[in-house]
Amino acid sequence: MDNDYFSIDAILAENQKIQCKFKQRIPEMGHLGGGSERDITALSKRQIPIWLAYIIVYSDWADFDIPQPFSNKVRNALRAEPRSVRLSNLVGAGTGWYVFGKTIMDMLGDEQGVEMSEMLVATFKGRLVDVIDQAQHFAALGPVGGGGSGGVDSAPQMFREGLDTTERELFVSAQESSRRMRKWYEEGNGGTKRVL
Amino acid sequence: MSSSSASAMDWEAEYAAGVFEANTAALYRSSKSRKSRTSALALDSDNEDQDITMASASTSIRARTGPTAPILDLPQDDESPLSQLTRHWMNERHAPDILPAEEELLASLLDHIRRQSDAVQLLRGEPSASEEEHIRIMLVQMEVERVKFIVRSYVRTRLFKIEKFARFIMTDATIQTRITTAERVHASRHAHLTDHHFHNSVLQSLPETQSHLDDTPIFMPPMSSSFSSSWILTHLTVWLFFSFSFLLLFFLSLPVTKPDNSRAVFVHALRDCPPIRFQENLTLEMKRGHISLMPFSFIEQLLLRGDVELI
Amino acid sequence: MSLPQSLRSSVTPPELELVASQQLIEIIPLIAMEKTAFISGAFGPLQPPRKTKIPLWMAINLKLKKKCHIVAPEWLAVEFLQSCLDEELNQPGFSMLPFRYAEVSKVLLDIAPDDIQSTDKIRSLLKDLREARQAKSREGLDQLNRGELSLSNLCSLEINEIRPFFVHAMGILTHLHRDASTEDQL
Repeated sequence: MDNDYFSIDAILAENQKIQCKFKQRIPEMGHLGGGSERDITALSKRQIPIWLAYIIVYSDWADFDIPQPFSNKVRNALRAEPRSVRLSNLVGAGTGWYVFGKTIMDMLGDEQGVEMSEMLVATFKGRLVDVIDQAQHFAALGPVGGGGSGGVDSAPQMFREGLDTTERELFVSAQESSRRMRKWYEEGNGGTKRVL
Repeated sequence: MSSSSASAMDWEAEYAAGVFEANTAALYRSSKSRKSRTSALALDSDNEDQDITMASASTSIRARTGPTAPILDLPQDDESPLSQLTRHWMNERHAPDILPAEEELLASLLDHIRRQSDAVQLLRGEPSASEEEHIRIMLVQMEVERVKFIVRSYVRTRLFKIEKFARFIMTDATIQTRITTAERVHASRHAHLTDHHFHNSVLQSLPETQSHLDDTPIFMPPMSSSFSSSWILTHLTVWLFFSFSFLLLFFLSLPVTKPDNSRAVFVHALRDCPPIRFQENLTLEMKRGHISLMPFSFIEQLLLRGDVELI
Repeated sequence: MSLPQSLRSSVTPPELELVASQQLIEIIPLIAMEKTAFISGAFGPLQPPRKTKIPLWMAINLKLKKKCHIVAPEWLAVEFLQSCLDEELNQPGFSMLPFRYAEVSKVLLDIAPDDIQSTDKIRSLLKDLREARQAKSREGLDQLNRGELSLSNLCSLEINEIRPFFVHAMGILTHLHRDASTEDQL
């Protein structure tokens, strides 16, 4: 989740499409967003990738709708219980819900932007402890502990499957860190390997 | 050390012939504390000169480990060069930015390593060595390896950052004051190499106006709709082509990787610190021994002054 | 690359062990050795059975060669660890353990169990301590924000374990934050 020029994730995040409603006719640009007409007509709606939507929206040629992954329905569900929502299902493969949300947040005006930010932060914090707990639990199980905590259809399993890409990264780094620590605790009995 | 550090030694070996050697050689030449070969026999306890330094050293050791030693091992003012380097090594490992080079400290330690190694060589030549003597030599040798490990890891940590930020280093005068001449040369060469590669692989095939890495965004359209549709057409086409050529977000970031000083670090206050101001008018006054997690930018100055260390 | 991927985000436990074993520890030598100048200072002379202090790594080495006994540090004892554990369970903050207690205790229990009293009890106390403190640092995760999180008395190895995700999570919170007042450029 960074803005580094060479970050592949940042580039991929810009590939998400948002629905833009054009305010005016744009001639010769009908092919944008996969259209077949010659021109973009005023009031027509198109799915435009974010990297292109920036300039269209900032130039005031079009408005955009808050994408479905951040709709009121989703927000209400998150407010009720952040851990029960499968974030990964809300966005396409290869993109993150938070990364997408951050991009939308940056494009919004003050009031909506702050609201969006608060929603993203509350969701992230509401899920964080469980992400880490599960990662550490899995690290403790070792390589064979696949199914873990209560079977395939259990709540933890559902929660893990619903992790967004950002949360997955956190999960992996927490798991990796716990494993490293375990490895160090377990090895070295007798100390013959201790060279330095 | 255990096996995971044994594998860490492998990457050391792979790299041994590279830049690190060049660097240390440069540091050797600049070493001011280099002493004559005759005093290099650090192991020779008959040497009067040596006895004096050892006597003073042992006093300081006693002072450091007296019964009142704090439970948190806070470094004392008479910190040995090795503990200093260890602290700088850990700081460097945790800091997102490149910290000021410790050239003299490193040079004096490298010099010490060399003297100890020479002494070991000399003593090894003696055929009559007893078991005690063997153990003594082995311990000295082992310490040399431990110190070398720290020195290498420290230098390599800096090299990693220097390569990562090479293009930024070449454009930023402040960061250049924090690195050694050898490191600057390396940054310059690395930056040129990547520039050259980008040029050969992509940029040379693009139109002249877009064939430089340091292009600034070509335009930001006015926030109004009162211009002709042909203007829109032309510029949107340019924009499209421009974006496609790189698939990158030009007005968010330029093709220069900079240190991310907002990254959080764990800090440990070595003494009582002046208050730090956070956003939203929050301040924090760290007392000696305090440990916190916070963005690097907040404590950068305290770190440079030696008030805190990164852990 | 100049630094392997695995070493970029954190230091490793063996590296922390290396740092920890620069600390001095008391031994009872079983061999004699002249006073010797090391890079880290002058140590010795060793005269059995006179107690002396040397760096931990040196003590480990001599111990493995059966050339010394190690005098366990005062804190590596049932009574002290038990009082820490009680504090850990009844007080909000972290109890005052030596900063590198985890590294030092692990090394000593590995190589010199015969020099330590009631090792089994100590091992289980250390494990309980570790778990109690882990639970507390997990509570810290709850209070995490984009500004600052105080974790006084958290120890070297514990910090290292939580570092990757605490730092990452704080970065994300910073990233997701938006001030009402600041007019974002985009």
